[in-house]
Amino acid sequence: MRPFALNYAFPAPSTPVVGPFTYDSTLQLNVLPDGRPAIADRALLLAAGSTTSTAGSKTHFDD
Amino acid sequence: MTVLILTAEEDVTADLVVAELHGRGTPLVRFDPADLPGEASMSAEYVSGDFRGHLSAGGRLLSMDGLRSIWVRRPGASAAHAPSPSPWLTAESEHAFFGMLYSTTARWMNHPQAAAQARLKPWQLRVAHQSGFAVPPTLVTTFPRIARLFAAEHRDIVVKSITGPPPGDPPVSLPTTRVGPGADFESVSAGPTLLQRYISKRADIRLTGVGHQLFAARKVAGPGQVDGRYGESDHTWEPVEVPDRIARAVYGYLRVAHLAYGAFDFAEDTEGTWWFLECNQGGQFGFVELQTRQPIAGAVAGWLASPPPV
Repeated sequence: MRPFALNYAFPAPSTPVVGPFTYDSTLQLNVLPDGRPAIADRALLLAAGSTTSTAGSKTHFDD
Repeated sequence: MTVLILTAEEDVTADLVVAELHGRGTPLVRFDPADLPGEASMSAEYVSGDFRGHLSAGGRLLSMDGLRSIWVRRPGASAAHAPSPSPWLTAESEHAFFGMLYSTTARWMNHPQAAAQARLKPWQLRVAHQSGFAVPPTLVTTFPRIARLFAAEHRDIVVKSITGPPPGDPPVSLPTTRVGPGADFESVSAGPTLLQRYISKRADIRLTGVGHQLFAARKVAGPGQVDGRYGESDHTWEPVEVPDRIARAVYGYLRVAHLAYGAFDFAEDTEGTWWFLECNQGGQFGFVELQTRQPIAGAVAGWLASPPPV
């Protein structure tokens, strides 16, 4: 029998493509293609949803 | 003294704190336990009553003697990136690495043992009660009959997962959802089910506690919106004052739960009462900071960089 709560599950909306940015081990930060820290482009990060509350749920119980 | 940040490379929210620590000139090592063994190495010696430990990662060598604080953000599973990963290697690596960290005097945000308990939603509700929050009547049960009685008593109820959506591919969402009249509760016996009285809310509140600093943000709920994380809303997060009564309850909750960081979710009802929904010990804060400009990352960095209490 399917657990009750799962009656209310639905396919997750597709995850927006985030980036591009890559991890710089020297800076210990993610950087944009032009070398700036990824967090410098806050509008991009917010729009991409990479820091929104549901993002954490994909790999962690915490969000 | 060095700050150790345990998180995955792609965690851009952690970048906000890393940048703050760089700005303060605080030494830090960012490390993902998934990289041990393989990209990183460790050694811990317990000889003649003495303890010495070292972590080598990303070209940096960190002595456990020089460890100021540890921030557990979004670490991968131990040994997940090892050349030959296995459940056994994960267990061996996790015990070795975290056993070494537990042997230090570093401050934790948050200690994994406290975090593990703090994730338990039923326990959260109990601590919330004791801390003085308003908590919606809640039931966790595998008895269909008790679920039916709860629904009959409270009439308008929601169901929510206890841990989050089930993992799988393709991924699914499992938001808090109102249970309509006439629901068949028979399948409650197939898995513990969390039912809660529905709070008709006018806004969502996210309160982030960092040590003794509290940052509350408010977002007006959309029409009929139940779970603030889902559904469309034209509104954005705005800073809001923390009522004294709520602040006292938050401090009490964090103290009882042994948490240095906690992200509290409340539903603000039409009379202005903040109803406790949950406290996420590892909750995201980037989306709040980006919209409200509240200096949460700075507060986290400040807590991590501060000297240990004398």
